[in-house]
Amino acid sequence: MENPIWGNSIFRKKKKEGNIYALLKQVPIFSDLKPKELTEVEKIVHRRKYKKSEAVIHMGDPGLGMYIIVKGSVEIIEEDKKAGQKTLAKLTEGAFFGDLALLDESPRSASAVAIEDSDIIGFFRPDFLDLLKRKPTLGIKVLFALARVVGERLRQTNELLSKIQEEKDKARHG
Amino acid sequence: MDNYAYQLYSQLLKTFWRIFLIILSIAFVMFVFPFVKDVLIIFIIAWLLSILLSPLVDFFESKGLGRSWAILIVMILILTLLVLSFSQIIPGIIRTVESLTSKLQSNIITDFSVKIENFFEKNFNNAELARNVTAKLNDIGVKLLGSLGAFFKSVGSFLASIIIIPFITFFLIKDSRRFKRAMISKVPNRYFELSLNILHKIENQVGNYIQGQAMDALIVGILSTVGLFIINLVFDGPIPYFFFIGMLAGVANLIPYLGPIVGAVPALTLAILNNPPNLGIVLLWIVIVFVIVQVIDNAIVSPLVVSKSVNMHPVIVVTVVIIGGNIAGAMGMLFAVPFTGIIKVTSSQIIWGLKNYRLRPSPITEESYSLEGKS
Repeated sequence: MENPIWGNSIFRKKKKEGNIYALLKQVPIFSDLKPKELTEVEKIVHRRKYKKSEAVIHMGDPGLGMYIIVKGSVEIIEEDKKAGQKTLAKLTEGAFFGDLALLDESPRSASAVAIEDSDIIGFFRPDFLDLLKRKPTLGIKVLFALARVVGERLRQTNELLSKIQEEKDKARHG
Repeated sequence: MDNYAYQLYSQLLKTFWRIFLIILSIAFVMFVFPFVKDVLIIFIIAWLLSILLSPLVDFFESKGLGRSWAILIVMILILTLLVLSFSQIIPGIIRTVESLTSKLQSNIITDFSVKIENFFEKNFNNAELARNVTAKLNDIGVKLLGSLGAFFKSVGSFLASIIIIPFITFFLIKDSRRFKRAMISKVPNRYFELSLNILHKIENQVGNYIQGQAMDALIVGILSTVGLFIINLVFDGPIPYFFFIGMLAGVANLIPYLGPIVGAVPALTLAILNNPPNLGIVLLWIVIVFVIVQVIDNAIVSPLVVSKSVNMHPVIVVTVVIIGGNIAGAMGMLFAVPFTGIIKVTSSQIIWGLKNYRLRPSPITEESYSLEGKS
């Protein structure tokens, strides 16, 4: 089963070819936005280029915002001093990660490393808060969509947990 | 070993060049500073204005206006307010200064010069010496007139500034995000989140601090004006231009500890010069008004509107005010504490960022990631 925290293929629509504008439209938290509103978002995102093996985010660092992969691919890795590194997910074009950091500054729960030269868009909490202040209608739309994504993940996690519990019970009772 | 020696040598060379570049940059800044001082002051004022006006611009933008239109409306509103208040205040200031000058001249300078002349004529019976003294006094007069010319020259540059400052302020508000994005885009990936986060925190806290200080000054100004107005009502107008004096007290309040005293002095001076019948009681009430305003400010206004993150020890406050006064006179004294507040916020945020972000390559990232692979 796909990891409910990092895997977000359920939110991803079929990718269309096009510019950032089209790519943003594929991201669930921006999918309800009108073209004019997407232009506003486009103005505040940061576009960055990462070389192969370069870290995008470090586990434990304060969370600042989410990233959307325009080109290339990223691996989500959990670091543990004893158990070593564990790959949680491999994300490709159109996928996004770190979206929970839009809500608070909690430490990143995993690292993200580019596994090839990648082109990535960053959407950060300071800019999001500023957007909420300046364009409340647009900000609330994004916030609501974000809540939907988080809710969906929680539902998936619950399903996963109950499945594990069922399997455990089955194993216990023979 | 050779390899180690080479690495050490290259490290030392790097450190040397870094230190050399830092020294060179400081020397360059010190050399260039006198030439760019005026432009820098204009930019600082425009920057402060942009911080003060941004919340209002954001408010109009949230109501559906475009950013440029929102800025224009706010600037026109502020300009109208300034013109209206200055049309009331400036004639008041001129009249106050004139009456102060004439009173001081008649009371002190004239008496003093007559006394000097009499003294010389009486004791030395020397008309030439008396003439020399008068000539010296004339000389001082000419110098004073010269400084008056310099003053008008500065008024000219002031007029130029009041055109340039709104122009720069407009673009600072309109394009601040674009400037920030352009700046942050040059930061290497490793420091990107750290820089963005620190920049945002500094921007936020400095903005809150400056807006809080301005709000505090405005409230203290209004409270002082109301207090002086009541004294004027009760004692038949012993304090002329109370509005100007009250607002001045608000601005002076930007200097903690010393500000309230600086704010009360003009009101007391004007009352003494005006010499009302019950001067003692009037002076007592002026002091009471300023004490009440300070109590309200310290107990209610300041804790609510001024950011707590820039609390400073009184010794530091007095020291920076003295340093500010030495560097840039009254303006230096006024801006010394806010400027120190900005430095304090900035440094504490940089330290926070350096403590919380992992800046060295992690075991799995960068070099090691590609070499060791993953488990």
